[in-house]
Amino acid sequence: MKNWLSTLKTLIWKDLLQEWRSKDMLTAMLAFAILSIFIFNYAMELDPRQRAELAPGILWVVITFSGTLGLNRSFVAEQEQGSFDALVMAVPGLGSIWLAKQISNFLMMLVLIVIVLPVYSLLYNQNLFVPGLLLTLILGAWSFSAAGTLLASMTAQTRMRDLLLPVLLFPILMPVNMAVVKAGMGIMSGAALASYQVWLTVLLVYGIIMTTISLMVFDYVILE
Amino acid sequence: MLSWNKKISFLAIFSGVLILLAFGLVLFYAPVEQNMGLVQKVFYFHVAAAWLGMLGFLVAAVCAVLYLRKPNLTLDAVAASSVEIGLLFTAIANFTGMIWARPVWNTWWTWDPRLTTMTIMAFTYIAYFLLRRGIDDPAKKARFGSIYLIIGFATVPLTFFSARLLRTIHPTIFGSAGTGEMAMTPAMYQTMGFSIFAFSVLFAVFLIVRSRLRLNQQWLEEQEALEQEEEFGEVING
Repeated sequence: MKNWLSTLKTLIWKDLLQEWRSKDMLTAMLAFAILSIFIFNYAMELDPRQRAELAPGILWVVITFSGTLGLNRSFVAEQEQGSFDALVMAVPGLGSIWLAKQISNFLMMLVLIVIVLPVYSLLYNQNLFVPGLLLTLILGAWSFSAAGTLLASMTAQTRMRDLLLPVLLFPILMPVNMAVVKAGMGIMSGAALASYQVWLTVLLVYGIIMTTISLMVFDYVILE
Repeated sequence: MLSWNKKISFLAIFSGVLILLAFGLVLFYAPVEQNMGLVQKVFYFHVAAAWLGMLGFLVAAVCAVLYLRKPNLTLDAVAASSVEIGLLFTAIANFTGMIWARPVWNTWWTWDPRLTTMTIMAFTYIAYFLLRRGIDDPAKKARFGSIYLIIGFATVPLTFFSARLLRTIHPTIFGSAGTGEMAMTPAMYQTMGFSIFAFSVLFAVFLIVRSRLRLNQQWLEEQEALEQEEEFGEVING
């Protein structure tokens, strides 16, 4: 157990360090996210009242779209430099490769959320730092990256790569989208917990299902 | 003993007769619904097609799990063919539904959970074929396809549940449950049951023929690849 944890930690550290040195993924994700917030402003010409209601939806679209950009990159280093085989040989238990990747992608999503939220709050003069909304986004981010990490590990090995990921990912993510937006709207409108609690449950259930399936099938993604 | 091909031909002819009989029942046996009139008759094919849509994806998901447990390209061929047929019938179900919805609900489309789920499901399986197209190695194609089928199939119930939840919180725009329900007479139930049976036999025929075609195609491709290798060898050696 202790051994497994330290393996996991090393793998996550490897991803984070790599990202810290290149900053490829995060810069692109953040630039894209902030640009999309600008596009939404001009595409929708929202008046303040509507804007407040739509905030969780817009925020989630921005986060998932820029998150997809990041996911596309998440297995590129392993593919291009052929370190995947080395990883498979070095790491006991292939599931931990997936879990480590999932956690580092999840952390990347958290960084994205932590930066996008204040920018959005600032630009639209609406405070989004509400604990409930943060919790919803964190649950959503876990589900998003759980589905995304598994799919990205497959699309990285196909011919169409980046093109394919969103097409595979978005239909699978539909319940997450509905749940995040509905829970977010409930929280932002100040409704009682009981009215949106079920959506948080949907997120939790989705996260658990996706994590379990991924851990179960990841072996088949890497083993020939 | 009949040969395999003959058996399939018989089954195909049998399914054709069944479909014709189903048409006959729908047109002449089932009564005309009082409120909706003739357009309600599309319902018998609509339900049968929707059933095949789901059956197709269920069969594919089962094959996918079996494939991961014990790799066998025949299972993969059945899974892919099943998705293909399921997709076709899902499209038929959606379009017949629209034909019915236009006069009855006064709109081509509504964000009803069943409509939404079926359409999202169709998109999942279109993505499945795109994924397969991006991979050359047949074994890898089958493995990745199976994984995607399993995830896709696991999320369908959640999508349906969420869409339904969304709907109940949402205000109902097109008259409430009343329009969705029909008082069915026994003749209507019989017609529906027969139509579902006829379509299911058709599904079996399609599945067998398509899977065999797929396997033959695979075999042919392998043979061609082998021949090319041989020719290449001759050029090098000669």
